[in-house]
Amino acid sequence: MRESGQMKIKHYFFNLFPRKISSYTPYLLVAPALIYLFTFIGYPLVQAIVLAFQDPSTGSPSLINFETLVKDAYFWDALKYTFILALIIIPLQTLLALSVALFLNMRFKGANVVLYTFTIPLTISDVAAALIWYNMLTTSGFLNRLLLNLGVIKEPIYFFGYVYRHMELLAIIVTEIWRATAIVFVIVFAGLQLIGRDYLEAAEVCGASVLQRLRYIVLPLIKPSIQAALIIRTLFALQVYAVVWILAGRDIPILAGEAYYWMSELYNPHIAATYSLLIAFFSILIGWLYIKLLKPKYEEVLR
Amino acid sequence: MVQRMPVSKKVLISIVVVVIIAIAAFLVYWFYLRPRPVKLIWASTQLCPAKERAFVEGTLLAQFKKDTGIEVKFVPLSYVEMTSRIEAEQKAKKVTVNVIGDLHGGLDLFASKGYLEDLTKFGALPARTFITTLEKYAKLYGIKAYVPWMTATYVMVVNKEAFDYLPAGLTEDDVIKGTEKWTYDALLEWAKNIYEKTGKRMLGFPVGPKGLWHRFLHGYIYPAYTGAQVLKFNSDEAVTMWEYMKKLWPYVNPASTTWDAMAEPLLKKEVLIAWDHTARIVSAIRERPGDFVVVPVPRGPKGRAFILVVAGLAIPKGAPNQKEAWKLIDFLTKPETQVKILEQVGFFPTTTEATGKIPAGPLKILAEGVTTQVGSPDAIVAMIPSLGPKGGEFVGLYREAFTRIVLKGEDIRTVIGEIGPKIDAIFKEVGAPLPLPDSEL
Amino acid sequence: MKTTVILRRLLVYLCATVLVLWIVVPLALIVLFALSSMRDYYDIHKVLPTKFTLKHISELLFDLGAIYSIINSLLVALMTIALSFALGLPAGYALSRYIFPGRDSIKLLVLSMRMFPVMIIAVPLAVLYLRLGLSDTLLGVALAHTTMALPFTIIITSSIFGGVPVEYEEAAMIFGLSRFEAFLKITLPLAAPGLAAASIFTFVISWNEVFVASILTLTNRTLPADILVTVLNSPDPYKFAAGFIMALPSLIFIFIARKYLVTMWGITTR
Repeated sequence: MRESGQMKIKHYFFNLFPRKISSYTPYLLVAPALIYLFTFIGYPLVQAIVLAFQDPSTGSPSLINFETLVKDAYFWDALKYTFILALIIIPLQTLLALSVALFLNMRFKGANVVLYTFTIPLTISDVAAALIWYNMLTTSGFLNRLLLNLGVIKEPIYFFGYVYRHMELLAIIVTEIWRATAIVFVIVFAGLQLIGRDYLEAAEVCGASVLQRLRYIVLPLIKPSIQAALIIRTLFALQVYAVVWILAGRDIPILAGEAYYWMSELYNPHIAATYSLLIAFFSILIGWLYIKLLKPKYEEVLR
Repeated sequence: MVQRMPVSKKVLISIVVVVIIAIAAFLVYWFYLRPRPVKLIWASTQLCPAKERAFVEGTLLAQFKKDTGIEVKFVPLSYVEMTSRIEAEQKAKKVTVNVIGDLHGGLDLFASKGYLEDLTKFGALPARTFITTLEKYAKLYGIKAYVPWMTATYVMVVNKEAFDYLPAGLTEDDVIKGTEKWTYDALLEWAKNIYEKTGKRMLGFPVGPKGLWHRFLHGYIYPAYTGAQVLKFNSDEAVTMWEYMKKLWPYVNPASTTWDAMAEPLLKKEVLIAWDHTARIVSAIRERPGDFVVVPVPRGPKGRAFILVVAGLAIPKGAPNQKEAWKLIDFLTKPETQVKILEQVGFFPTTTEATGKIPAGPLKILAEGVTTQVGSPDAIVAMIPSLGPKGGEFVGLYREAFTRIVLKGEDIRTVIGEIGPKIDAIFKEVGAPLPLPDSEL
Repeated sequence: MKTTVILRRLLVYLCATVLVLWIVVPLALIVLFALSSMRDYYDIHKVLPTKFTLKHISELLFDLGAIYSIINSLLVALMTIALSFALGLPAGYALSRYIFPGRDSIKLLVLSMRMFPVMIIAVPLAVLYLRLGLSDTLLGVALAHTTMALPFTIIITSSIFGGVPVEYEEAAMIFGLSRFEAFLKITLPLAAPGLAAASIFTFVISWNEVFVASILTLTNRTLPADILVTVLNSPDPYKFAAGFIMALPSLIFIFIARKYLVTMWGITTR
């Protein structure tokens, strides 16, 4: 009996929205946003991209900027470090954000406090975050003063300087994890809220362990949130330069930092645009990978 | 059965509350707090720090308003914000900035692109004589691009504690008066002494990405060892100089590569001896005047080389209210104003009527140090070359030479052999004249 | 039996404390340094300052007029949220509910607008806005910020809407609601956590954005445009005072929005 009732409803729906209108609806819904973006950022974007293909001295189209890039000693280091940093920081942050989100979902007393605290770094601009960590880690900074006064160490720990590049790398990683995990966390946590408790309770009743519930119910259902969070986080990661500049100067070149350096210190917008194009290229590549690899198996779409 | 969410009503109410607050805030702002319409917009890359800005807005511009009734909005911008905004305004042909305050380098860049008005149309400013070298410097691309407004230089700042570690043969007096004993070799001995006695590297330079280290390279140590900024880039004297730098570096605080300005490291006692632009150490002097002395830079084999930095006031091409803008420029370059500026913010005058006066006040130490440096008998004055859009590339090459030779340890002759021709190429391409001291060789 | 429960409880609270401390200690330092007297801040024998002053904060707010800029920033941020939601919610909904050709490409296209570091497009952007007469206006800055926040709003909301069961909307429609009403009354409230996340994001992006705001406005500046250049060239306590002033409104906004990040005791289904 239930069977035919359901079929009646489906039949009803099918006739309610004749193919023609519904096939245009998504485009109509997306159109305003796309038109807005094209108008207010699309055209400037195109102009900036053109700069990358212009010879700085003559203005005629050429690939000379790419040549300059490849010959520049900093370029290869920048490429290397950008990816090293991204490959270390992003997985660590995602793991941390996921763990904390799951942890908070256990809803213990005071979880609200932890929730609020963990989102606070979002309010701190990247410059402010870099400055506070820089100040904490200099030889006369908070950390060293504390440890020296407590007698834990006799010599201050050196974090900064070309010869201490490995320490600078550490400082950057710590600062970024402190500052930016909240980005991933907020999105993943929001996604976690949508998973019906009933699913989990039913699984528990059926004898699934915590890990099994995690693997087969929670993770698949928050895939879209993880996808969104990873895309956003990676985008930011490829573009943020202030943290690295403040903590490491140009000891650790990164693609975005080099783009800004060429733009603001060397007054060469062409090379800056070339670097930016490269950043955009990698972002699109990685974004595409995320979209394809993290496709949720079960999507709430209209039939 | 779908349960009605208790959240929906609350969401709606909060949205309404937020909208009401937003509208209320807007209304309060519009009718009570909005600043009145502004007459002149003065965009500047100089005098941006908090104290300096308060001085400009609270003292200078308040006085200007009293004298002329014109209201001026002082807009501090970073160097890249300035170039971006001026370029955008010129390209869009909608100019809103009335007066630009910037360093010679920035104004040179604007002049090379035709973004500045020729100020000869306003005639000469009354009751003052500008220093001739500076007026000549301000003639760029066939026009009078700017009015010389302030000068500055780069000096060494010494924490008095460092005098406890002077090497043999060098006295406090030598350093402060800038005698022939105050040489770069003596500096090396001094820094080495500090390291050996305390285990700390207490010499510092602003080698960060926004630091002015390149000025030290092309305007200080190069002329001190070779007698020129550019001409002797690839020479035996240059090799001696780079060998010196390599010997010096182990005694320099490694965090230098992260420093853009030396005021903070000096105040935090991370260094005892520092080199930087006067504007970037003035807050240290202001905060702890008893701790520091400002001294002339050391001399090299060819002399005591230093750069004279010039800041100027210009009017963008096609700017509105140019007559009022000229009045502002008049006011800011009056000898009385220039003396006040020196007293409060440590920038030196450009008119002969105002030079020579060392004002009392917290920046006396700064003024004394600079005057000693500028007046030393073995002085070699260097001016930053006017290379227009290639100025950045010029500077980048000196930085590259430093990074490769001193930080990465590459062979000196190979590196300067590679980079030397590139520097010559820039001058040829721009067709720019050689700067001082090269032009006198 | 009881000991494992107590131990588990202890572990949970230990973890919670570590997490809170990890975030709060640097923040507390920012506040301490913002309020520290200059003398104490530079005294290397003191680990923490003991003498405090409101001078740095008051100088920024009143002497340099940062308080006007705060209102400007607030207005811009709220306008940005309104605009991004107006444009982004429909787009997010479309990308999550419908399967249509070009779906993934549109997602990528929207994202690609955000993949260029903004400093590089700043000059062409400013030229466009100057020509449109939007320079020196808060609306202009809001429009620019919307272009920066819109891609994120779309991505976040599309992932969140994708998690709301479509049967709810269909059931509502059977009961007589139009698709739009079903969206408003059923989907939107259920998606509240995602909307809260998106609004927090948009607020923070707009609030902290400095470069575009600096170039698009010389008068009526937003907070970062007005004071960042100043404090970055001033002694450290000013930098932290600015950091503190800038963080405060965001902190308040997140405090309000966080309640919607957590749904009330989960969704019951079927």
